[in-house]
Amino acid sequence: MTRKQWGLGIASIAALALFPVAVGGNPYYIHLAETILIYAILLFGLDIVVGYTGEVSLGHAGLFGIGSYTAGIFFFKLGVPYVLVIVAASVGVTALFGAILALPALRVTGPYLAMVTLAFGTIIQILINEMTFLTEGPLGIKVPKPSLLGYKLNELEYFYFVAALMLLALVTVNRILRSHLGRAFQALRDSPVACDCMGVSVYRYKVYAFVISAAMAGLAGSLYTYSEEYISPNTYNFELTILFLLAVIMGGRKTRSGPLLGALIVVTLPSLLSDISLFRGIATAAAVLGVILAAVLLLKRQKTWREVIVPVTSVVGMAVFSYYLENIVDWRLTIFGFMTLFVVYYLQDGIIGYLRGAADRLWPHRATAKVAEGADADGSRAWAPPAKAALTSGNLLEASNILMQFGGLKALNAVDLYVAKGAIHGLIGPNGSGKSTMMNVLTGIYRPTDGKVVFNGNSIVGKTPSEIALAGIARTFQNVQLFGEMTATENVLVGLHHTFHSNLFDILFNTRRYREEEKAAHQRAAGILQFVGLADMANEEARNLPYGKQRLLEIGRALGLDPSLLLLDEPAAGLTAPDIKELIQIIRKIRDHGITLILIEHHMDVVMTISDFVTVLDFGQKIAEEKPSLVQSDPKVIEAYLGSSMADPAHDAADPAPA
Amino acid sequence: MEILLQLLISGISLGMIYAVIAFGYQLTFATSGTLNFGQGEALMLGALVGLSLVSNIHGGPYLNYWLMIPLVLVFGALQGVVVEWIGVRPSIKTKSEFGWIMSTIALAIIFRNLAENIWGKDDLTFPSPVSAAPFQVFGANVLLMQVLVVVGAIAMMLAVELFNRKSIYGKAVVATSNDPAAAGLMGINTGMVITFSYALSSATAAFAGVLVAPLTLTGATMGTSLGLKAFAVAIIGGLTSGMGAVVGGLILGVCETLTGFYISTGYKEVPGLVLLLLVLAVKPAGLFGKAAIKKV
Repeated sequence: MTRKQWGLGIASIAALALFPVAVGGNPYYIHLAETILIYAILLFGLDIVVGYTGEVSLGHAGLFGIGSYTAGIFFFKLGVPYVLVIVAASVGVTALFGAILALPALRVTGPYLAMVTLAFGTIIQILINEMTFLTEGPLGIKVPKPSLLGYKLNELEYFYFVAALMLLALVTVNRILRSHLGRAFQALRDSPVACDCMGVSVYRYKVYAFVISAAMAGLAGSLYTYSEEYISPNTYNFELTILFLLAVIMGGRKTRSGPLLGALIVVTLPSLLSDISLFRGIATAAAVLGVILAAVLLLKRQKTWREVIVPVTSVVGMAVFSYYLENIVDWRLTIFGFMTLFVVYYLQDGIIGYLRGAADRLWPHRATAKVAEGADADGSRAWAPPAKAALTSGNLLEASNILMQFGGLKALNAVDLYVAKGAIHGLIGPNGSGKSTMMNVLTGIYRPTDGKVVFNGNSIVGKTPSEIALAGIARTFQNVQLFGEMTATENVLVGLHHTFHSNLFDILFNTRRYREEEKAAHQRAAGILQFVGLADMANEEARNLPYGKQRLLEIGRALGLDPSLLLLDEPAAGLTAPDIKELIQIIRKIRDHGITLILIEHHMDVVMTISDFVTVLDFGQKIAEEKPSLVQSDPKVIEAYLGSSMADPAHDAADPAPA
Repeated sequence: MEILLQLLISGISLGMIYAVIAFGYQLTFATSGTLNFGQGEALMLGALVGLSLVSNIHGGPYLNYWLMIPLVLVFGALQGVVVEWIGVRPSIKTKSEFGWIMSTIALAIIFRNLAENIWGKDDLTFPSPVSAAPFQVFGANVLLMQVLVVVGAIAMMLAVELFNRKSIYGKAVVATSNDPAAAGLMGINTGMVITFSYALSSATAAFAGVLVAPLTLTGATMGTSLGLKAFAVAIIGGLTSGMGAVVGGLILGVCETLTGFYISTGYKEVPGLVLLLLVLAVKPAGLFGKAAIKKV
């Protein structure tokens, strides 16, 4: 931790400790703050799902309810007196329910997942209502403040108990998200396909994320039970779920401060909204501010009338509406709805994200101040793959009789591809000839309709992309598939995910094993970045790199897997001439390290200079497989690229792609 | 035996309502890959607007049931246009899935709250347009309205299908659903087609609302669970198959009435949602859906 973080930590602990004193022990405010802390715990967890893995969960009110009711039932029905046991049970039970939901539901994504989690939340609310023998149904359960180690906590002491657990949750979530788990969560949002092909199973890590998130909801739920001292089914409804989501996106995703701020807003909002004159004041201020901002933007010509008309009308409309209203409480949900719309369209990164962006714009050096660590000038620490068994002759990969059929189209028809160990094997052919399909078959993204793929003596047909990646086949993508919101170093670290053997325990307690693995991985990542010439851009977000560098970073990330076979899908596409030279050198060096390569490329000069063998595909069929020099004079190959002598040569040369 | 038959008949009529709403989900999903999470609210608004037109709660009755239907269809279409315009179009532009999910949910909440403030929080009774006295079929009591629901639902789906297959506008819809980019290059205003699909989808939902209203209670909260269960139906049947919507709807409708009678009415929502989780676990594309091949 840096000094700044220590300072921040101590300041926040002091603020939490002094808060009750500051409000003069007023029980109303203490309870309000307690609720904010409890919500924040849940929101830390929800942010893992929403902010990091990028999925929408509408089931968190249900999970929160499970946590609450587990505590209630343990205390009321089973008579367990120990608060720590009860809290732990809530966490465990809720995590279990999270897993039961996640295992089927996370096979789908996006809107499907949103609806499925919504269905889950609805089922939970029904079950709480109906299973009266456990939950007392609509009557609810009364639970007094707990005793800790035989000592009965009062209102204020319970506040400190919640505050301590909130800090614990904060540290836990921070540690998880900073670790390789957190990197996996982030990577699978940015590019699921690439994530699978780096040996990080998207499905599995989504389930992990969801279960961790559920555990947080369970913790929050059990604390809520003691805080309210009474629970009933109606609390855990759809409205609460929306409130949680609003809090996360409004506060700012992928931060810890965002959920805290979001919790503060959604907890205090109802009390703010119950006061009509206060609401009128806020709405008027917002309208004035909105009009001024729009006027400034219009005068500076940064925005057009069309762009500002909607937000301006809505804030002004809101202000007018507030004077027309007599009873604000009835319109609470409408206001929540409008806030959600506003955040979704105009504040996508949340308040914290917006403030950070503004700070970066004001002090630009803030963003670039960090320099690359671990790289050195003389290149002595540049990447070298771990020593492997000496090369033997023979084929590393044998794909035989591959048939890949999409409906009636045979994208690959009885194709054989044998790749010798240690070779650079070119794979060429006109557009649409099946090269990329072949890549996808070899990496497990497509399952071939028929045929065998044997890698290193083992069949890999039917294995998942992440299993194949871990077996030693790495790849890059024709349309660059980097993890855009992660830095170059982090991208490579995802490739190095397989080097981590630490479990959740190691991460939470920051054990020596975990620290050593993390350190080793960082060193290797720095070495790899240096190898592909990106050492000075190590801390740049991948999406901000120039295109040619992005392609190199993809190669670096693939090298992180320690592959024995590396598949490069058009690595030279869109590169400038000097970049291509650099690329050729890198490819040669990779081969010299004992890694076999398959190279798909349209730049014939590149393919012909560095390939040992070249396979030519046309319309899903293999038409040649020879040494480069022979391929160039093969009449079939010439015909495939330039058309037969009967056709119009000028036309075909200009457009080698068959329609 | 009579009881079982009777349960089957109410299950079928309920199932057809689910099918129509699920059909509405499919319409927008086909053209834009988006769904209106407020489909249930579109149904609820249709039913309540219809109620205001045919009963005396807002100074009416203005029209009889049959004349009210076209007006409700127009209202539903307009409501769909609003949803598309505010909730979906900006997100399609920025390709933000999270955006349209959250904004259609937000709009749904706003519509529900609006309805609560206009029509009140209590459920209202919708006067039945046909004789409320049941008649006997093989000993089971059948309401004429139940028959009407089945006929109306089938008619609505057939009308939309015919429109899509026979008219040039329908061809534009189909073209957009197959390949929006290519359709755009062929001069089809794909934005317009998407708006239109939302109008059509909400109009179907509003129609389902006035069909189901005489059989159930009408109120601001009636749409939420109908919308959710219709989504379950759309998933169970497959989001790309009209046939799937009907079959899924019938399965769910019958399951629900049977559970309600033989187990407990409190649990009657559970089988559909459990079925939803099961189908996702076993065959995510749905019973009649085709698994899409992901291109890299």
